Amino acid sequence: MAERRNAGGAGQGGFRQAQAWLHTWCGLWFSWLLFAVFFTGTLAVFEEPISHWMTPEHHAQEQAQAAACASGQRGGDLGQRLAWGLAYMEKHHPGAEMWELWPSDAEGAGDLRVYWFDEKRQYASAELDSATGQPLDKDQSHGAVRATKGGHHFVDFHYRLHAGQAGLWVVGIAGMAMLVALLSGVITHRRIFKDFFTFRARKGQRSWLDAHNAVAVLTLPFQIMIAYTGIAISASTLMPAGIAVYFGTGSQGLRDYVVALNESDRPAPSGRSMAVPQLEPFVQRAQALMGQPVRAVVVDNPGDAAARIGVYGWNSEEEMQQRLNPTTGMVMFSAATAEVLRLRQPGEVDGGDASMAKSVIGSLHQVEFGGQALKWLYFLCGLAGSAMMASGAILFMVKRRGKHLGRQAGEFGSATARVYRLVEGLNVAAIAGLGLACIGYLWANRLVPVGLSHRASWELAVFFGLWSLALLHALVRAPAAAWREQLGLLAALCLLLPLLNWITVGDSLPAQIARGDWESAGVELSAMAMGLLAAWAWRYLRRRSARSQSPVSAGKMEVGA
Amino acid sequence: MNVLQASWLAFALSFAGMAALAFAMERHHEQLTAAMEISAARALLLRAVGAGLLAAAVMPCVQAWGWSVGVVAWLGWLSAGALLVVALISIAARGAAAAACILAAAAAIMAAVWSA
Repeated sequence: MAERRNAGGAGQGGFRQAQAWLHTWCGLWFSWLLFAVFFTGTLAVFEEPISHWMTPEHHAQEQAQAAACASGQRGGDLGQRLAWGLAYMEKHHPGAEMWELWPSDAEGAGDLRVYWFDEKRQYASAELDSATGQPLDKDQSHGAVRATKGGHHFVDFHYRLHAGQAGLWVVGIAGMAMLVALLSGVITHRRIFKDFFTFRARKGQRSWLDAHNAVAVLTLPFQIMIAYTGIAISASTLMPAGIAVYFGTGSQGLRDYVVALNESDRPAPSGRSMAVPQLEPFVQRAQALMGQPVRAVVVDNPGDAAARIGVYGWNSEEEMQQRLNPTTGMVMFSAATAEVLRLRQPGEVDGGDASMAKSVIGSLHQVEFGGQALKWLYFLCGLAGSAMMASGAILFMVKRRGKHLGRQAGEFGSATARVYRLVEGLNVAAIAGLGLACIGYLWANRLVPVGLSHRASWELAVFFGLWSLALLHALVRAPAAAWREQLGLLAALCLLLPLLNWITVGDSLPAQIARGDWESAGVELSAMAMGLLAAWAWRYLRRRSARSQSPVSAGKMEVGA
Repeated sequence: MNVLQASWLAFALSFAGMAALAFAMERHHEQLTAAMEISAARALLLRAVGAGLLAAAVMPCVQAWGWSVGVVAWLGWLSAGALLVVALISIAARGAAAAACILAAAAAIMAAVWSA
């Protein structure tokens, strides 16, 4: 990092210098994408609270449900819900090869949903009224409710950029680059122990390097873990050779693999017809066997004598405080004989130790365990990782600013000044601009009209539109001005979010706290904390630019922009 | 011991432990005492205390979360403690040292009360 020689190419100098070269360039070219992936991934830790904030129409419903649940009214008991689901499927989808019923939440309340594979083997779903068992019209159930992707936008963006398989590959390669940058960074960092606790403020380039080192080194276990598990989750896509050799390529190969892994004992249809029996007795037995309330009931080969009934459980929060592996309990029954075909206790996996490792790797990445404390630790470490990438990208320019500009032969030949200008612009757009896009997404949730068609996509359009505008702005304006203006706007949007919510929906921060709605309050308080940080950076840059207007210090521009 | 109590304990212990390790180093010892050199005995003592506190921080984590989740939580709290130590030392080294002493003492009392 600090010791990089300007003339050093990959092959020149010693091992450490080669690593420094690798760290600088691998880090720089991936830093913008990685910052976006990391920051949105950090927000994705709180996917559910963000979704909750973004669907204010559900708040009253959720409260009514909680009250009804407390007073014992649940809108149809378990047996009734299962019967309704079964009746719906028998009437509307008798030919489907699989039926799946989600009768209720873990408390026996909540929505009643059904899923099936349609003719094209696509997963299809319907929601039934939990009080009457009648199918709910999709528009009817969402009529007055704003359509939104909610917090899931951040989840989807951070692992595949809303671009499906192609996006997954791009993020996967960036994840590899992050591992390369982490390891080469550790090798390059000569004073990793001597500078372990060192941060020297207001020293220009020194401060940026100290900050970059501190956030990275002090959270290194997390950074390596999150990059590695992030890649490993997508192993079947990123390393397809194993599956391709044994099961063939393409989606059929993948399907065969999944069947061989989980469904090797799946019964073949017998051809003799038999109505699906009432499900409640199966569910009651399964709940007793696995010790969990029912989450889903899956009927394979419905209507056939070889039908199989699988019952899956809900993990309770208390269980997941102490368990890394999030698999739930599962019991498989033969529909004809009611005999137990397979029993999996909560926390066990099908497929042995390798499956267990895969499951735990996924859980480690998505922090499905340990409750709120672990979520906040992940959030903190995720912010530190984002800060590592941002400070690295800024450091690259701080080192070069004023050094090479104006000289004939910089490190990019005659294009040096233009490349530096591009890097400056990308820094502003990737860091401040992404912040604008994220908070703009929340603003769009309140400002885009509720009845608009494709409304959820409009929210996304605001996210990407604001980000593109930020890039344009960063390339047009001088870097220092671009930083100031984008940080200023970011601070304003973050700090005004509670006001926006109060004006548009009538829900205020004090009211949220008063009714104990910490999910909504948490979103707004966190946005305000980010706003304060942005405001501090904005004020700092404004003061410095005022100072540098005076002729004495004009040549001493050091930090930031 | 509930999760909130364990979180406080783990955080207090890892903050105090990281601070002790930091002040065992010449640079940060000088920020604290203005003495250019730190005696070998004092450095060793601070390192031993720091390592001990960090190791002790694993105990509330394991109590609240069990071993598999507890160790993950412990690593997280170590990072959190270290980040705050760096921030505080750069702002006010003496304040950081005082905070470390107070938190270590408080942790000892809390541990005694909560596990009783």
